Amino acid sequence: MFPTPIEKSSRQWQISYQLILPLVLILWLAPLLAVALFSIKPDADFVNGNFWGMPSSFEMFNNYGKVFFESNMPKYLLNSLFITIPTVIGAVALSAMAGFALGVYRFKGNLLIFFMFIAGNFVPFQILMVPVRDLTIQMGMYDTVAGLVLFHVAFQTGFCTLFMRNFIRALPFPLIEAARVEGIAEWKIFWYVVLPLMKPALAALAVLIFTFIWNDYFWAVVLTQGPNAQPVTAGITEFNSQFRAAYHLMSAGSIVAALPPVLMFFIMQKHFIAGLTLGAVK
Amino acid sequence: MHSIKTSFAALAAASIAASAAMADGHALSGDLKIISDMSNPAPRAVMEGMVADFKEMHPDLNIELTIVDREAWKTQIRNALSANPPDVVNWYAANRMKPYVDAGLFADISDLWAEPEFEALASTKGAMTLDGKQWGVPYTYYQWGVYYRKDIYEELGLEEPATWEEELANCQAILDSGRKCYTIGSKFLWTAGGWFDYINSRTNGYDFHIALASGEVEWTDDRVKQTFANWRQLIDMGAFIDDHQTYSWQEAMPFMVNGEAAAYLMGNFSVAAFREGGLTDDQLDFYQFPVINPDVDYAEDAPTDTFHIASGAQNMDAAKEFLRFVTSADNQTKINSGDALGQLPVNANSSIDNDKFLAEGFEMLSNNAGGGIMQFFDRDFDAEMASVGMEGLQEFMVFPDNLDDILARLEETRQRIYN
Repeated sequence: MFPTPIEKSSRQWQISYQLILPLVLILWLAPLLAVALFSIKPDADFVNGNFWGMPSSFEMFNNYGKVFFESNMPKYLLNSLFITIPTVIGAVALSAMAGFALGVYRFKGNLLIFFMFIAGNFVPFQILMVPVRDLTIQMGMYDTVAGLVLFHVAFQTGFCTLFMRNFIRALPFPLIEAARVEGIAEWKIFWYVVLPLMKPALAALAVLIFTFIWNDYFWAVVLTQGPNAQPVTAGITEFNSQFRAAYHLMSAGSIVAALPPVLMFFIMQKHFIAGLTLGAVK
Repeated sequence: MHSIKTSFAALAAASIAASAAMADGHALSGDLKIISDMSNPAPRAVMEGMVADFKEMHPDLNIELTIVDREAWKTQIRNALSANPPDVVNWYAANRMKPYVDAGLFADISDLWAEPEFEALASTKGAMTLDGKQWGVPYTYYQWGVYYRKDIYEELGLEEPATWEEELANCQAILDSGRKCYTIGSKFLWTAGGWFDYINSRTNGYDFHIALASGEVEWTDDRVKQTFANWRQLIDMGAFIDDHQTYSWQEAMPFMVNGEAAAYLMGNFSVAAFREGGLTDDQLDFYQFPVINPDVDYAEDAPTDTFHIASGAQNMDAAKEFLRFVTSADNQTKINSGDALGQLPVNANSSIDNDKFLAEGFEMLSNNAGGGIMQFFDRDFDAEMASVGMEGLQEFMVFPDNLDDILARLEETRQRIYN
C-alpha cells in the first residue's frame, strides 16, 4: 500500500515524522492562528505594532459583540444562508434529475448534452463576469438574493450533473429494469428506486456545494452591493471605514464567517470525504 | 484663537444672510431628488440630518434622498447621471469632475459662485473650477501636513521647521539620535503621492503642479527633475523608514507611535488612530510642510468632497438652494463638528471644534494656503496617469537611481493619455 502507514516505517522515520508534523502544522495554520489572535486584540495594538505579542487587553467579547450587535454582520450571515441553502437544494435537485435522465435513458444527443454540461465546467467564470452582470441588471435581479441564487444554481448544476450522472451509471441497472418489468411509472422509479440509492451522493454533493457557495466571494462582489443582498464573505469589508481598516473587527468577522462551513464539515465529515473521492472511483 | 473669534463675528453675519436666503426660499416646491454617497454611519447621519433641516426650511418641497454605498457610487454615478438624472449628487473636486463635466452631465453653477456669500469658500474655488466655470460646491475637507512626535523634538531641542534647510538639519539631528525622520507605508502607493504633491508644489508652485496634473508639462521637464532632486536629499540621508514599500499606511504607524520615527506626512484622519495608539496631545503635534522655494506660495493638500447639480436636474431652483444651504457657515459648522464628520468646514466663516489639530488645520487652509488647495495626487491627475505615476513615485523612493527611466515612462504615459 502506498503511502506506507507510519507505524510500519522505521523508528528514525517515525521520530522525525513526529517532530516535523507539529512544526508543519503550525506553519500551515499560522495565518488562521494570526486571524484568531487578531480577533481578540484591541485596535490600539495595531497602531502600536503589537501584531504578534500578547494582546494588551483582552477584547474578545468586545470585538465579537461589535460584530454581532453593532454591525450588519447578522444580516450578512442571514443573506449567506438565504443564498446558500436554496442554491444547494436547487442545484442538487436539478442535477439529480438531469443525472437520472442522462444516466438511464438512451436517446439521441445524450452524450452531446452530457458533454455540454462538462464543457460548462471548463469555462473560466471570470469570462462570464460582464455578460452575467448585464443579464442580471436587464432581468431586474441585480443586487438581489434571488439573482445570486439563480446564477449559482445554473452554474453549479453543470458540475453536479457530471457527478450525479456518473454515480447513477454505476448503480446496478437490473434494479431499474426489474422495476420496469413490474410496470412502475418512470418518475416512481426515480423517486422510489434511484433516489434512495443516491443518498450518499446527494449528501456528499450538498456538503460540497454548501462550502463552495458559502465561500464564494467573486460573484458576491459582482452581483450584489449592500447589506440587503450581500453575503458575509463580501460583507466583511464593511468594517473598513473610509480611511482605516479595522483589522480586529475584520478578523472577528472572518472567524464568524468561517464557522458555518467548518461546522458543516465536522458534522458531515464522512460524506465530505466520500464526495471528494466519489467522482474518482468511476 | 484670534481667527476663531473673528469667525464667530462672521458667523453671526452669515446666519443673517442665511435667514434672508430662507425668506425668499418659501416659493420652493415640487420634488428634489438627491443621491448621496455618504454611506458610512456618521456621514449618513449627517446627510439625513441636512435633508431634515432643509425640509423644515422648505415644507412644500418633497425631498427624495437615496444613499448609495460610497465605493459603489464611483461606478454608478455615470449611469445615474445619464438615465433619469437626480437633481443633486455627491462627488469629488478637481480632476475627478472632469469626465462628467466633459460629458455635459454636471450643471454649470458659476452664477451661484458669483454670489457674495460664496466668497467665504474662496479656498476651494480653484478646485471646483474647470474650463473657467464652477461645477459644484464643497461640503467638507481635511488638511494634510506633517504630524510629528513633539516629545522627540523637545528631547533633541528641535523646532518645527519653516524652511527646507531647517527641515534637513532637523532630520540630520533625528537620524543622529538613531531614529528615522519619517515613517511612510508606500505599499498602496498613494502615500508617496502626498510627498510628491508637497515637494513639487513647494518647489515649483501650485500653478505648475496643476499644469503637470492636467498634462500640460512634460515629466522630463527640468523643474520636475528639481522636485525629485529635492526629494532625493531626504532619501539619500535615509530619512524614511526601511522597507516602506511593504507597509500599508496603518502598518507604518507603529514606527512613530513607538518612537522609531519622528514624523508622518499624512492626512488629519490619522490623528484618531494616533490617539488610539496611546499618543497624547502633548506628544503629538502638527506643522505645515516647510517652504522649499521662497518665491512660491503655500499650496496644501486638502481632499474635498462635494455636491453637484446634474445637468438634467428637474428642479434647478431647489437644487441651487440646497447647495447654498449646504455651504452656509452654520450648516458647515454643524456637519463638520467632532460628533458629526469630524473634519474641516470649507466656509471660512464657520467655527470649529476645540481640537488643536482641527484648529491648526482650519487656520492653515483658510489663511495660509494662498497658493491653492490641491486635491491629492490621485484626484488631481488623470486616473490612469495617477496610477502609473504613483508606481513611479514608489519606485523612485526605493531605487532613486532609476529616476531617468521612471520619468521617461511617465512621459510616455502622459503623451498617450493626454494627446
